[in-house]
Amino acid sequence: MINFNRVWAMALRYTLNLTKNYDRLADMFYWPIVDILLWGLTGTYFVKESNNPNVIIIVLTGIIFWIVVWRAAYEIDINLLTELWDQNLINIFAAPLTLLEWIASFIIFGSVKTMVSLIFAGILSFILFQYNIFIYGLWIVPLIISLLITGWVIGFIVAAYLIRYGQKVQAIAWAATFIVAPFSAPYYPLDTLPNWAQLIAFFIPASYIFEGMREILFTGTISYAKLVISFALNIIYLLLSIWFFIYMFKRSRKLGLGRLQ
Amino acid sequence: MQNNILEVKNLTKKFGSPAGEFTAVDNISFSLKEGEILGLLGPNGAGKTTTIHMLLGVTDPTEGEIRYFGKTFQKNKEEILKKINFASTYINLPRDFTVIQILDIFGRLYEVENRQKRIQKLLIAFDLERLKKRSYNQLSAGEKTRLVLTKAFLNYPKLILLDEPTASLDVEVAVKVREFLLKEKNEYSTSILLTSHNMSEVEEMCDRVVVINHGKIIDQGTPEKLIKSISRCEVELKIIDDFTKAAAFLKDRKVPFHQNKFSFTIPLEEKNVAELLTLLTYSHITYQEISIKKPDLEDYFLQVIQK
Repeated sequence: MINFNRVWAMALRYTLNLTKNYDRLADMFYWPIVDILLWGLTGTYFVKESNNPNVIIIVLTGIIFWIVVWRAAYEIDINLLTELWDQNLINIFAAPLTLLEWIASFIIFGSVKTMVSLIFAGILSFILFQYNIFIYGLWIVPLIISLLITGWVIGFIVAAYLIRYGQKVQAIAWAATFIVAPFSAPYYPLDTLPNWAQLIAFFIPASYIFEGMREILFTGTISYAKLVISFALNIIYLLLSIWFFIYMFKRSRKLGLGRLQ
Repeated sequence: MQNNILEVKNLTKKFGSPAGEFTAVDNISFSLKEGEILGLLGPNGAGKTTTIHMLLGVTDPTEGEIRYFGKTFQKNKEEILKKINFASTYINLPRDFTVIQILDIFGRLYEVENRQKRIQKLLIAFDLERLKKRSYNQLSAGEKTRLVLTKAFLNYPKLILLDEPTASLDVEVAVKVREFLLKEKNEYSTSILLTSHNMSEVEEMCDRVVVINHGKIIDQGTPEKLIKSISRCEVELKIIDDFTKAAAFLKDRKVPFHQNKFSFTIPLEEKNVAELLTLLTYSHITYQEISIKKPDLEDYFLQVIQK
C-alpha cells in the first residue's frame, strides 16, 4: 500500500529543492526559451525560403512536445541524483519510505513540473510565433499522456543504472533521452529515416505520437491504431522499466546503499 | 522481565564474487533489551557500520535473521522503521535545506504526531533553535551532528542506532548530548545501539558492550566485566634518591618498565603489586609517591584487538 503522506513528503522535498537550485529552474524555463527561439526562428526562415507555412508548425510541434519526453525522464533521474549528491539515500531508506512511494513521488512531482514547462513553452511559442498547441484539439490529452509515459520509461531505465552504479554513470541521465530522439521522428516524417532506423522507430512509442500529430495537422484526425500501439508499447515498457528499476535497486541494496554515498 | 527489542541471529554479510569473496560480518548474534544501551566496539573496518546498515535495511544480509519487537525485519520493514531511527556522523542531510525544512521533511516521512511541537522541543534540547533558518551546509561539523541527532529523535524512537554520535562535538556539547541520551533512555525506555571510538563514553553510557573484529564477535559483556577480564595495571613510582638503584633492581628481575625523569611506569599483574612493593622495601629502595592506574575500557580494547 502506498502511503500518500510519505509521497507528499518526498514531493515537498523535491519542490523545495527546486527553489534552492537555479540549475533546476534553468532546466524548466531557460532551455525551453532557447529551443523555441532558436528553432522558431529557423522555422520562420525555412517558411520564407520554401513558402510552406507548415514548416514552422512542424518544427515547433517537435520542440514543444519533445519537452514532455525529455522532462518526464529527466525529472526522475535528477531527483535520484539529488539524493546521491546530497548523500541522503540512507536517510530516506532508513525511514519507512517504500520504493513504490519513492517512485510515486518521482512520477507525481515530475508530471507537475513537466506540465509547467509545457504550458510555459506553449505560451511562449504563441507569443513569439503565434503557434497554438491546442490546434490538436482534445487529442492533445492522450498525446501528452503517451509522451509522458515514454519519458518515464526512459527515466526509470536510466534511474536503474544510477541506483546500481551511482554517480559514475550520471552522464547517461543527460544523454539517454537524446538517443531515442532521432528514432522518435519529432521534426520529420518517419519515412525520412533509413530502413534500419525505421525498424527501430517501430518499437518506439513516441514515433507513433509525433507521426500522429503531423497526421492531425494535415488531415485533422489521427488513426486510432497509432494511439493504441503507442499506448500498448508504453504500458509494456513502463511495467518493464519499473520492474528493472526495482530489480537494480534490490541488487544495489545487496551491495549496500551506503557505497553510493 | 525486559523484552528483547532487537534480536540478531547468525548475521553474515559477504561482498564480492565467490572467487574474491570478503566477509565483512561473520555470523554474529546479539540482542538488545528495552531501555538498554548496547555498545558496538571495534576498530575501523571491523564491520560495525555494515552491521548498522543491515539493521537499517539499507544493506541486505547474506545470511541470518534480524528481529525487532519480536517481528522479522524483512517482512515488517515499514512498520519497524517507523519505530526506530538512526544517526551517523558520516552521513549528510540535504545540503541546501534549512534546519527547520530538513526536520519538517523527515517529520512528515516518519508521520510524527504534533510534528511542529516535537521539532520545537528537540531544537531546544539540541541547542539548534537559533540556527533553525540556517542551511545545512552553513553549519559547523558539531552543529551538523546535533541536527542529525535531532532528526534521529523525531519519531519518538523505541530504538535508536547511533554511529559515532559525539564525534566532532566539542566536550561541552558531547556531555550535553550524552545527558540527553541517558534522559531519553530513562524517561521513555529508549533502547540505544551505539558505536563509538570514545571509550570513556562507552564506559559511561553502555549497559553492555559487544566487541567485534574482522566481522566476528570476539567478546561481550558489561563494561565492568570486560575491564575485569584484564588483570594488568600500571604502577607509577616516583623515586628521587634511589633512582639508579631502582632501575638496576627492575632490570635484574626482568620487570618491564618505562622510565621518566624521576619515575618509573611498571605494567604489572594486579596480584603482583604487593610483592613488588615488598621487594622494593627489602632492597631499601625508597619511593616518594605511588599511583596505581587500574585498567579501563581502552586498555581492554587495545588488549583484545592486539590478540
